[in-house]
Amino acid sequence: MPATASAPAAPVSATLFAYQVGFGDCFLLRFTYANDTRRHILIDFGTTGLTLKSPKDQMLRIANDVKEKCGGKLDVVVATHRHADHISGFATNKGKGSGDVIAALTPDRVLQPWTEAPDAAVDSLGPEVGGKGFSARRSALRQMHKTARLAVQTIDSGKFEMSPALAGELRFIGEDNLSNKSAVTNLMTMGENVYVYHGCDPGLGDFLPGIEVTVLGPPTLNQTDTIRKQRSRDADEFWQLAPRRFAEAGGVGTGAKLFPDAPTFDLRLAEVRWVADRIDKAQGEMMLGLVRALDAQMNNTSVILLFKAGSKSLLFPGDAQLENWRYALSTKLADKLAEVDLYKVGHHGSLNATPKSMWNRFTKRGKADKPDRLTSVMSTRDDKHGSVGAGTEVPRSKLVTDLEAQSKLVDTRDLPEEELCSVVEIDLR
Amino acid sequence: MWIVSAGADPRPPMAAMPFRPLTIIAKDPGLRIGGKNGPMAFAQVDVAAEKLAKGPIGYRIKVVDYNATDRVTYQDMQDYEDAQKQPVDPFAPREGETWMSPAYQARLIGDPNFHAQNAYAIAMRTLWQFEHALGRRVRWSFGGHQLHIAPHAFAQANAFYSEPDRTLMFGYFRNAKGQPIYTALSHDIVAHETTHALLDGLRTHYTEPSMPDQAALHEGFADIVALFSVFSIRQVVAAAIGEDGTYARDDTKVALVNASKLTPEKLKQSMFMGIGAQFGRALNETGDLRHSVLRTPADFESEMGDEHDRGELIVAILTQTFVTLWHKRIAALGKFGRKYNLTMVVEEGAKLAQQLLTMCIRGIDYCPPTDIDFGQFIAGVLTCDREVAPDDSLFNYREVLRDTAAAYGVRPPADQCDAEGCWKPFVAKQPPLSYMRSNFDAMTRDKDELFRFLWENRDEFAISTRAYTEVVSIDAAHRTGPDGINLCETICQYSQRVDLYGAETEAVLGFVRPPEIGHQSRCTAFGGGVLILDQYGQVKYHIGNPLKGGQRQFDRLVHLAETGELDGRNRIGAMRFALCHMDRMGA
Repeated sequence: MPATASAPAAPVSATLFAYQVGFGDCFLLRFTYANDTRRHILIDFGTTGLTLKSPKDQMLRIANDVKEKCGGKLDVVVATHRHADHISGFATNKGKGSGDVIAALTPDRVLQPWTEAPDAAVDSLGPEVGGKGFSARRSALRQMHKTARLAVQTIDSGKFEMSPALAGELRFIGEDNLSNKSAVTNLMTMGENVYVYHGCDPGLGDFLPGIEVTVLGPPTLNQTDTIRKQRSRDADEFWQLAPRRFAEAGGVGTGAKLFPDAPTFDLRLAEVRWVADRIDKAQGEMMLGLVRALDAQMNNTSVILLFKAGSKSLLFPGDAQLENWRYALSTKLADKLAEVDLYKVGHHGSLNATPKSMWNRFTKRGKADKPDRLTSVMSTRDDKHGSVGAGTEVPRSKLVTDLEAQSKLVDTRDLPEEELCSVVEIDLR
Repeated sequence: MWIVSAGADPRPPMAAMPFRPLTIIAKDPGLRIGGKNGPMAFAQVDVAAEKLAKGPIGYRIKVVDYNATDRVTYQDMQDYEDAQKQPVDPFAPREGETWMSPAYQARLIGDPNFHAQNAYAIAMRTLWQFEHALGRRVRWSFGGHQLHIAPHAFAQANAFYSEPDRTLMFGYFRNAKGQPIYTALSHDIVAHETTHALLDGLRTHYTEPSMPDQAALHEGFADIVALFSVFSIRQVVAAAIGEDGTYARDDTKVALVNASKLTPEKLKQSMFMGIGAQFGRALNETGDLRHSVLRTPADFESEMGDEHDRGELIVAILTQTFVTLWHKRIAALGKFGRKYNLTMVVEEGAKLAQQLLTMCIRGIDYCPPTDIDFGQFIAGVLTCDREVAPDDSLFNYREVLRDTAAAYGVRPPADQCDAEGCWKPFVAKQPPLSYMRSNFDAMTRDKDELFRFLWENRDEFAISTRAYTEVVSIDAAHRTGPDGINLCETICQYSQRVDLYGAETEAVLGFVRPPEIGHQSRCTAFGGGVLILDQYGQVKYHIGNPLKGGQRQFDRLVHLAETGELDGRNRIGAMRFALCHMDRMGA
């Protein structure tokens, strides 16, 4: 239902629809007021791997369901960061794609991290964000996509002897970090954009009356520097060079040999074989390390939003990892985490995205009989990311055990095949 | 150290020679003589003489020039001996070439065999530094005799030591102009990585997850060795400082240098006080990879960087100490107007660098084998130096080091050290220690015998019976006593390890479990110590961190919980240094 001027001061209930997108996030958050008016916020819409039983047009079905549930009008869209598993659904296709459906819902505001802002908007971000660092970051983002593309090309080239597990992870992370130009463009044009950072006012008061929206992350470069000198800018500089380096390492660059005229053995002689095998392995692991770093860098641009409506607080941290959280946790705003009633589990259940120092602040964690117990909502899929042997599987079984023990866990893996979404009702009074 | 001119006199047969000359790039290809477009600094240095096989492969280093990106192995086309079995330096300038000539330098830079030999020679020189300081052979931690070196391992801007692979892997990459940058050509980087391997041999538990200081010490120590060892190549230091005229009288001719170049600030700015110039410029175009001597105490107040960042703190302390003392020693030299004798300035720097380097390496013998921090490292260095040189009155090395460290907030642990920052001697709580069932002679070489001594006295040494305890090493340390008589002391290193659940922390480690650690969380804790036995076999020092360490163990496990390393799986052993170095590149 569209917003009206007569909306009451505070909503009385909230409903969270957690859609089945496999490995990805898509949440429709509805606030209902005493007079039955509603506000709708779509938080992310993407996947990098639908469940095996999902139909091919699952994303379109979800878009149409969102349209139906919000009555043809979205108030706010939030794209926490530009990973495919969070924005691929926003891609358009000649008016027939899932992103076209969402764009037609004419959101009043589209929230994204400050790292997505076009150059012209730099001044609007306040004096903390210097223009130079900002343009470096945007340029770095482009280079990161290029690196991701090279990672996928490297696997496709078949030039390297890699274990299937290593190649699989390299491909998965690479594909998740590929540029999704159509989705990015759609997000820039479907509504008025707001680019947010820690502590800023997202300006949603007119669209979400009676709801306090706190932006906990991502930190700006200057904010990051207050806890960790210099590295952020270095990181951007690094990504400017990364694609070329990756092309060289992956053998998909110029193809120029290092010493074309030097006498060589093309076969591995017995005296080098033991160590040559290990160098090959190290080479593959370093490539993986590079794309993992890329992945974490992208995750840490995630918007972290805390909605306070009535008596309840709802936390949506995207895929933010410790480095993003670290600044928020060092500020007074972190005190608000004590009252969190609903937690969208970060990064599909990876351990790094639910840092202990954040989790331990939730005072409503507890056993099943605890009054007003915390609810956790996790959107994920098994066997897509990491491995149990390396302790990197997503979702991490240890975290899931903790979530189940200390909160009411809503997990999209438990959705019946015929259901499009899980529904969580929240009484805000 | 051992500069040999290109036209050296004929030498005795190789078997009788302790050293042989080999050509290397001094410092870094980014160090240019006389300006940024000047020639690189090549030098011929002495390396332990040995019968080399193709590779080169020697008794401690095995070069394997396999390139994983190009999938080839480069053939070693060089001969390291001539027909008369005399050692040959295959990359000395040929007839018509000089050290500085562009054609000669280009020939070497374009030859993978030179890269291989350069890495071999620098690694061997670094090994020599350790063995010379300690007066004994230094083991690799993996137990074998030969450490592999892969000088062109892959096209990656990375170089690292991998203990499980028994290898130093050196990558290469191309700069913005497409020119290859070889990490194996950087003296700084090769010496740094070799030091990781050597330190791992001396203190194998320093690669275990711990508080930031432990990994940072590995990085910082590697930088310290890389920085100080360059000063032994005197002609390069002299060329880098630059000559400002000469003094000539009768047959004497002295190269001079302006005093204005030798202020502490100018010395700190100098190119040989930085690490990885070429690598740093190619990566970020801002200069050295690290130039720690310029970092002030304020730089570290809110630092939350990686191991290299934290490691710069200990490098800053040692290099500031070096600059203070070098300046002091220069000031004691005679002047020629407003100028100094350049050779003497360099000589003072070389002597000082060698002394500080030796102090640092020897100090490791006096450091706890597990969970070390910077304060304990400084205590180890001070204690060992006082044992070796009780009289510090000439230049007050220890006082300068102690004060510089304090300015950076690093102090030896007050409850375990005396007023000079040295470890307090061991005093048994309930004397005497039980020596009855131990044979002193066997204790100096037999791990089982020493373990028996430890076990019999476990209460005195706070050795927990709930952990697995083992003697890691027994080494002899020789020094000259105050009366001029040679003494032989024994350095015994033992460690403890326990795998436990969070619920057991209070009983096993002596602290109440914090909320960061679940009661079912698995974790590993370490403890251990060093016993210094005097010439009579009596325990002179017991330096360690006990397993039941209370606050220290608490801080460590909370830190590991915060960084996701509690279960020890976040950092894969073989890739520990690789990923750390990759982090450093900003990723």
